[in-house]
Amino acid sequence: MSGARQAALAAQKRDIRSRWLLSAPALIIIFFAAAGPLFVMLLYSFMAKGDYGDVKFGEFSLDGWVSVFFQRDIFDDTLGLADAHLSIIWRSIKLSFFTTILTLIFGFPTAYFIATRPPRSREIWVFLVTIPFWTNLLIRTFAMQQVIRNEGLLNNALIWLGVIDRPLQIMYTDTANLLGMTYVYLPLMVLPLYASIEKLDFRLVEAGYDLYATRLQVLRRIVIPLVRPGIIAGSILVFIPSLGAYVIPRVLGGGKNMMLGNLIEMQFGSGRNWPLGAAMSITLMVLVTAALILYVRNASRGGTGHV
Amino acid sequence: MALYNFDQIMVCCDHKQDKPIKCLSYKSRIQRPDRNRRHVGQRKLGTPDKNGEPMTESRKTAAHGGAIGMHGIQKWFGSFQAVNGVTLDIRPNEFFTLLGPSGCGKTTLLRMIAGFEMPTEGQVLLDGTDISGLLPNQRPVNTVFQNYALFPHLSVAENIGFGLKMLGRAKAEIEAVVADMLKLVHLEGRGDNPVTQLSGGQQQRVALARALAPRPKVLLLDEPLSALDLKLRKSMQIELKRLQTETGITFVFVTHDQEEALTMSDRIAVMSAGTVRQVGAPWEIYDRPAERFVADFIGETNFLEAEVVSVADGRARVRLSSGAEITATFPANVTPTGKVTVVVRPEHARVGTASPGSALRGIIHEIVYLGTDTHIHIRLEDGTAFMVRQQNARSGPSGLSKDETVGIDLGDDVAQILRD
Repeated sequence: MSGARQAALAAQKRDIRSRWLLSAPALIIIFFAAAGPLFVMLLYSFMAKGDYGDVKFGEFSLDGWVSVFFQRDIFDDTLGLADAHLSIIWRSIKLSFFTTILTLIFGFPTAYFIATRPPRSREIWVFLVTIPFWTNLLIRTFAMQQVIRNEGLLNNALIWLGVIDRPLQIMYTDTANLLGMTYVYLPLMVLPLYASIEKLDFRLVEAGYDLYATRLQVLRRIVIPLVRPGIIAGSILVFIPSLGAYVIPRVLGGGKNMMLGNLIEMQFGSGRNWPLGAAMSITLMVLVTAALILYVRNASRGGTGHV
Repeated sequence: MALYNFDQIMVCCDHKQDKPIKCLSYKSRIQRPDRNRRHVGQRKLGTPDKNGEPMTESRKTAAHGGAIGMHGIQKWFGSFQAVNGVTLDIRPNEFFTLLGPSGCGKTTLLRMIAGFEMPTEGQVLLDGTDISGLLPNQRPVNTVFQNYALFPHLSVAENIGFGLKMLGRAKAEIEAVVADMLKLVHLEGRGDNPVTQLSGGQQQRVALARALAPRPKVLLLDEPLSALDLKLRKSMQIELKRLQTETGITFVFVTHDQEEALTMSDRIAVMSAGTVRQVGAPWEIYDRPAERFVADFIGETNFLEAEVVSVADGRARVRLSSGAEITATFPANVTPTGKVTVVVRPEHARVGTASPGSALRGIIHEIVYLGTDTHIHIRLEDGTAFMVRQQNARSGPSGLSKDETVGIDLGDDVAQILRD
C-alpha cells in the first residue's frame, strides 16, 4: 500500500472521528432527553404499581397493560373491556381526525391567499399567522373559553341578533374541544401548506385553464396533487399534537370529555397508577406511529396520480 | 376577475377596471369547448346540448384553423402600457409570427388571445366573433408555453390527454387521440413515462402534442424553442412547420429570434414598444422594410443618406452622397421626397475597384472571414460605415486587403427607402 493511500485513509478516519465528535452534543441530548425517558416509561409499564404512586421496582406485572383495554369486575373478578378507556381513545382519534380536516379546510384557502400575494406582503401575512404563538397556549385556550361559554361573545352575539333565544351549550362538549384544537393548531397547517403552495408553478395553473379545466378541476387535478407534500406535512403536524392534546380538553372539554392526554395525566396524578399511565403513553405513541405510516403510505400512493 | 355564469348571460369583470362587461352567451355562436357548461347544467356526457349539437362532435369540425382579429388593442399594467393600439388580422391556417425584442408586448398580445389577459381596450375576435370576454377554458385555443408547463405529476400520455379529459371525452377516444399524437411527435411507446424523465426536446414535443390534442382552432406558441440547443432548435423549426401544414391549425408564434421567424412564418408582424411596425411575408420584412426599426432588427443592414430625384412607376431614383444615382423601392402609402434614408443589405452589394462609375467608394478597415461568407467592413468617403457580405469560393482569400480603397457596386434593385 502506498504512503499516499495510507495518508488518505488516515485522513478519512480522522474525518469520521471528528464528525462523531461534532454530533456528540446532539446525540447525548437525544439519548438522555428522548430515548432514555421512553425506555424508563417502557420499563415502568411492566411493573406493579406502588401504593402511593411510583412503581414497585423489580416486581414484574402486566396489570398496567391489561388495564389499558380491560377492567376487572369487582364482584366475579372477570375481565371485561374497559369502556371508559376505549371511548376516550376513540374520542381522541375522532377529534384529532376532524381537527385535521377542519384545519385543512380553513388552512388551504388561507395559505393559497398568502402564496398568491406579492412577495413583500407575503412576509407580513406569514408573520400575522404566527402571532398566536406569542401567547401562552393556556391563555389562548381560556380566551377561547370566553368566546364560547354560555355568557360568552358568541352566544351573546347570536342572542342579540335573534338567531337563538337560549345560549348554546358549547363548553364541555366535543364541539368545544374541536373548536379549540382547530383554532390552536391552524397555524401548524397553514405554514407547511404555504411553503408548498408558494413553490407551486402557477404557469401550470394557467396551462390547466388553457386545457379547458374549470376552477374546481384545476384545484383537484393540478393544485392539490402538486402541493400534496404540504398537505401531508400539515396534517402530520396537526394530527400528532391533537392526539395527545392536554390543555385544550382540560379547559374546554371538562371532566366528561377527556382525551388521551388527560387520562394519562390522571394515572400519574390522582389515579396513582404509574404502570397504567406508562402503558397508555406507549399506546398513544404506537397509535401515532401507526396513523403516520398508514397516512404517508396512502398519501404517497395517491401522489403518482391518475387523470 | 369574477365570473358569474348565468347560463345565458355572462358577466365578466375586468379586475383592473371593475367594470362589468355584459356579454350574451357565446355558446350558440362559437364552437367552444363543451365541458365548461357542465358545472352549470350538469349534462351527462354524450347527450346533445341545447342547440342539438352532440358534444363529442362539435370540436372535431374544426378541420380548418380559425382566424384571429385584434382590433384597437390597448393594454395597461398599472401605469405601464404594454400594448398600444394594435390591429392585426391573422388568417385561417396561417403560420403567423409576432417578432420583436423582449418587452415589446408580443407575449402580452398572445396572452390576450389565450384569455390570460383582458385587453384594457379593443376586441379580440375569433372567426369574426368577439371572444374578449371569454375565459381561457372557454376558448378553442391552446398554448405551448415557454417552459412547456407540463404537469410533473402526470405521465406523458396523461399530459397529452388532459385537455380532452377536461372536455369530457370518452376514454377510448382520448386513448386513440393520445396514440395519434404520440406518433405525430415521434414519441411512440413513451406514453407511460413520467414527463420529468424526458429531455428538453422531448418535453417540448409533449407540450406540442398536449396543445394539439384537443384540436384547437388556433395554437399559440410562446417562444417554445428558446430553451433548446441550436441543433435541436433547427430540427424543431422544420418539425413545427410540418405540424402546422399537416394539422391545418392556425399557428401564432411568438419569438425574438428573427431567423426563426423568417424560417417558419407565412407572415410576420414586427413589434416594438407595444405597437406593430410592419406586417408582411418574410421576404417583404427582409427586403422591403418599411422603417428603420424593422430594417435594423431583421438581419444586418447598411443605412445610407440619399436624396430623391424622381419618382415613377412605384420606383424612385435617389442620389447618394457620392453623387451616384440608383433606383430604390419604397413602402406603400408613402411618396418619398427630399432627404431620405435608404437601406441596402450587405449581400446585395459588390466590392470592386474604385472608379468614377462606382456607386460608393471607401476604405476597407476590417475583413472578417466566417467560413461561408466574408464580411468586408468599409468606411465610406462621407464617414458612414458600410458592410459587404461576400460568399466565399474555394479559391482562397478574397484578394482584398485592409486599408485598400475600393468601390462598391450596387445592382439596380437593391435599395429600399424607409418611412421616416
